[in-house]
Amino acid sequence: MAKTNNKTDAKSMKGTVISTKEGLSKAITDFLKQAFEKNCFDTILIPVKVPANDSYAWVLLKDPALLDDANPLAPIMPVQGGKALSSILKHGVTDSSIAAVIRPCEMKAAIELYKLKQVKLDNITLITMDCPGVLPLKDWFKNPDEGEKKFKDIIKKWDDKDVRPLCQICDKFSVPLNEENATYPDLHFGVLGCSDGTGFVIPGSSKGEEILDTVGLTATKEVDKWESKVNEVTTQKRKKRSEAHKALNKEVGGSKNLPVAFALCINCHNCMRVCPVCYCQHCYFDSEALNKPPEVHLMRAAQKGSLLFKPDCLLFQVGRMSHMTLSCVSCGTCEDACPMSIKVGQVFSMVADQSQDAFNYQAGRSKDVPHPLRVFEDEQELDQVVTMCKDILETGEHK
Amino acid sequence: MSNDFKPNIVGFLCNWCTYAAADLAGQSKFDIKPSINVIRVMCSSRIDPNLVLGAFLWGADGVLVAGCHPGDCHYEKGNFYTRRRFTQMKKVLETLNLDPDRLQLAWVSASEGQRYRDVINAFTDKIKEMGPNPLKPNPAV
Ligand code: SF4
Ligand code: SF4
Ligand code: FES
Repeated sequence: MAKTNNKTDAKSMKGTVISTKEGLSKAITDFLKQAFEKNCFDTILIPVKVPANDSYAWVLLKDPALLDDANPLAPIMPVQGGKALSSILKHGVTDSSIAAVIRPCEMKAAIELYKLKQVKLDNITLITMDCPGVLPLKDWFKNPDEGEKKFKDIIKKWDDKDVRPLCQICDKFSVPLNEENATYPDLHFGVLGCSDGTGFVIPGSSKGEEILDTVGLTATKEVDKWESKVNEVTTQKRKKRSEAHKALNKEVGGSKNLPVAFALCINCHNCMRVCPVCYCQHCYFDSEALNKPPEVHLMRAAQKGSLLFKPDCLLFQVGRMSHMTLSCVSCGTCEDACPMSIKVGQVFSMVADQSQDAFNYQAGRSKDVPHPLRVFEDEQELDQVVTMCKDILETGEHK
Repeated sequence: MSNDFKPNIVGFLCNWCTYAAADLAGQSKFDIKPSINVIRVMCSSRIDPNLVLGAFLWGADGVLVAGCHPGDCHYEKGNFYTRRRFTQMKKVLETLNLDPDRLQLAWVSASEGQRYRDVINAFTDKIKEMGPNPLKPNPAV
């Protein structure tokens, strides 16, 4: 059993069986009510349906009665939970303890932001669940009632064909089971591999264990069935992910294809604004740096024969990527927000996987593994770059 | 090289090492190919990826980032950050199949005028072989 937030011996994970007869969402909100009554936390951050009934918003709940309108497994993700959390806790901690009921990718964003000093997690209880993905916003807004029904079905069958493209290939939809130094949520609700109408609540930290003890749900049961199913689905998803990335690379890679892939970009910067890990207050691309005097534009136009306006859309994409690719958690929020249906999230996640691999890093997976750009002691893995400079001296004909 | 393509290389050179090396190479009257447009920066770590990518997308055939040898940075650890940031940028270009070899990182100290010549000449030859930057004529880039 985990004593701290990290380094859990996967084999010793224990859980408590809960009933999910009325759905996982209801099971979670029921649990939250109990925990609320026992003062396990003072406030809950959770998605709640908006009064117009056609969307969900993050709400800080003080009144447990309002949990009836909450939906921990909202069918859509208009605002990334990591971003919501950091907007509350960027400038300090409170004495009040907050339970954040978020998806696994939102927790990754929260942890990444914690390492980038954009959120303080001291008094936060992180609660996650096995996540089937969310619906694309565009599909949802065509008919929210239909979307609600469709999503119920998705949860039931764990069928990913209608969720967002990045959710379809998400291999981090649960907790990190076999990863060293991984950070666990304090509590996780697992349903995969469980018989119908049941699930587990699994503590991932001593805080989580205490909460379960307090509400009388001490974790004692083996969770092997859930674990092996999570592992199985993870393997499937990994395969799907690498295939999807390969196909995407063919489609958008190269100096011919890439400008075409982003040709429709209207430079609205929505993708950047909704991205949980794009936290800079003054973005280079919002600055005047690229607003050049007319002669510069004329020069560029003369060189090329013509120049498209607004220019530098591709620079925005590749530049943003070069700034934050090591922190991208592949949540797909950017793609959801893009009015031009550009595959921006898919491209970013493809690049993120490769660049994070180079540093043996996984964004948001561990509180303790430092961000690669904040350390430089261990340079072995960067030999490729350094030898590159040697290469050129050895192979070039220098006269 | 048989073709008459003249590479246009943008070089971001650290003031304390490589820029001085360039000076030394010039004073020593070394034979350096006239391909590089030098931009002096106070430390290789000052070079934001956007500057490198901007040069590249605006049509430079190659971009050189050069600074002090690791351990010799005037600001102690600037070039360690450079190295990591450069790796990150390379990976982005590599994954997008955008000619990552057009980006070059080199360490050249103030006394290494010859090395400066060698780096510039070798990189120029390499870019010559690769040909012009294909993004340059694209009106959408
Ligand atoms: S770039 Fe897109 S996929 Fe990556 S973290 Fe930001 S919003 Fe999520
Ligand atoms: S949201 Fe879409 S259209 Fe807007 S800047 Fe991003 S990629 Fe371009
Ligand atoms: S001062 Fe030369 S690289 Fe930092």
